[in-house]
Amino acid sequence: MPLPIVLALRELRHDWISALCFVAALVGVLAPMLILLALKTGALDTMVERLVDDPANRELLAVGAGAHDEAFFRWLEARPEVGFVVPATRSINALADAVVVSFPRRSVVREVPLVVSAAGDPLLAGEVGPGRVWLSAPLAKSLGAAPGGVLTMVIGRRIDGLEQTARRRLEVAGIVPAERYGRPALFLSLPDMLAIERFRDDPAVTPDSWLQAAAPPAAFASFRLYARTLADLGPLSAALEERGVSVRPRAENAALLLQLRRGADRLYLAVAALAAAGFWAAMSANLRGMVERRRLAFSLLRMLGLAPAQRATVPLIQSLVLIGAGLGLSLALVLPSLALINASFPAVAEGAALARLRPDQLGGAAVLACVTALTAALWAMAAVLRIPSEEVLRHG
Amino acid sequence: MKDLAPPDLAASDAAADIRDLSVRLGERFEVAIERLSVAPGEVLVLDAPSGSGKSTVLGLVAGAVAPQARPARHRVAGHDLALAARPPGPAAMGFVLQTHALVPYLTMGDNIGLPARIARLRVAPDWAREVVGSLGLADLMGRFPAQLSVGQRQRAAVARAMLARPRLLLLDEPVSALDPANVHAVEELILRLAGDAGSAVLLAGHQIAGSAFAACRRVRHRVEVAGALTRSVFRAEAG
Repeated sequence: MPLPIVLALRELRHDWISALCFVAALVGVLAPMLILLALKTGALDTMVERLVDDPANRELLAVGAGAHDEAFFRWLEARPEVGFVVPATRSINALADAVVVSFPRRSVVREVPLVVSAAGDPLLAGEVGPGRVWLSAPLAKSLGAAPGGVLTMVIGRRIDGLEQTARRRLEVAGIVPAERYGRPALFLSLPDMLAIERFRDDPAVTPDSWLQAAAPPAAFASFRLYARTLADLGPLSAALEERGVSVRPRAENAALLLQLRRGADRLYLAVAALAAAGFWAAMSANLRGMVERRRLAFSLLRMLGLAPAQRATVPLIQSLVLIGAGLGLSLALVLPSLALINASFPAVAEGAALARLRPDQLGGAAVLACVTALTAALWAMAAVLRIPSEEVLRHG
Repeated sequence: MKDLAPPDLAASDAAADIRDLSVRLGERFEVAIERLSVAPGEVLVLDAPSGSGKSTVLGLVAGAVAPQARPARHRVAGHDLALAARPPGPAAMGFVLQTHALVPYLTMGDNIGLPARIARLRVAPDWAREVVGSLGLADLMGRFPAQLSVGQRQRAAVARAMLARPRLLLLDEPVSALDPANVHAVEELILRLAGDAGSAVLLAGHQIAGSAFAACRRVRHRVEVAGALTRSVFRAEAG
């Protein structure tokens, strides 16, 4: 083993109580920081991510009815901020008079909101199609419907005092979970929505002909629009406003989520930076102090011919060993503590760990520890090199 | 690792050859070696009064004390210390400090072997046993300096200096910490080991007259006062 390593380790072993105190001081700084980081990663980040990932927070609602042509939708689809967009009819037509399930038992739900959907709908785990619909969980529960089931949608209109109804047999393709959409709703394709609008608006369309293919309208009254990410909401709104299209986010506080996440990151960084600075200063001062306590030994080693680089390596190795031990001991205490925290509060994070450290965070901590060890040793190394060999001649 | 062979005395030059080597200690005191020459195997004694700078002279000779100016000549065991940045190594020079300093976190055995290990020298086991055994340290090799008496530490420092058979052995009050009953025996032991190692000796000490070194050549010492400056000057021509 190279002599500087032998000297560094022998000194630590010989003066093990001081070394242990040193390591304990490091653990005192490192362990709370790791637990804080684990809580931030586990509790705060997970919960904020869930909110950030909730598509409802990324939805922009059109204010009022408009006339949006195909060029408008091509423009929207080409924008990088757009996650999903589909043309929609006027909201007055987005209501079915009733939805009926006949099997295994008959049930009827009246005045069912209709939501136009298409491939890529962030609320759905699949897609709708002509005659294939998705039900929100509350509606499915009211109807007693399940995927693969069949239902009938009833659309009514009044022409010249005469009430007419059109019926459409629909297959249930899937159920939208309640956490994605908590109100009764029927998700259906744009062609089906357009058929409903034609039936309600055009007296020439009859209950027998309303499902026949027809040319799409020149313009759509509205749209369903989702930004790709929460951060895209602002720029997308601005772009639409610039085009004269008034929109508002469904979740008014969505932007606050981003601020919360950024704020939490900054807060932790500030705390971590302060702790790291204190840790560095304590490490640096302690190593310097160790050199001071061993001045005569270093002076003697110089007189005996130990090369400058070898002498300077001694505090460097001690720094690495002490910080390595501090990090190792911290993890040995922190990891079981995290397991205990997660076991004690299983419901807080709803399935995810309340406190967790990612491998990249552990790696980052190790790299940071090494960098701290190397840089904090510089003062001590410089001090070692300045100790003259004649010192040991004069002081015993 | 290099093998350590006994030095070829006949082929070597002086163990030390120094001219005009000095250092200022504060504003008003200077220690100067005007001329100092030690022949191979010779024992030279520095017995100037206390405070005259004997330890500093040994430090200057060893290259451990930085001189105030480059000396006219500073050769030790074939090494030009006027040019060298590092000490000449344990095979050239051994130094027993008055402070008998040892590395506190190394055992006595490791302390004794430290200079040879630093210089990557392989010490003949027989010689190592001879040195350690003669100095009565064989049973203490695993102890740390704090577990040794002052006298034991001083003998360990002697063993450390002699282990690599240095061509020049610098001894600074090597028996000052010993109890009077052992002083003469250890002095004679040092002389014997130095002779066996082929080492020249430069020794600083008190009460040389009654010691085993009484018959050895002395370094001449004088004090010069020039204004506020006091110079403590040492000189020893070749014998």
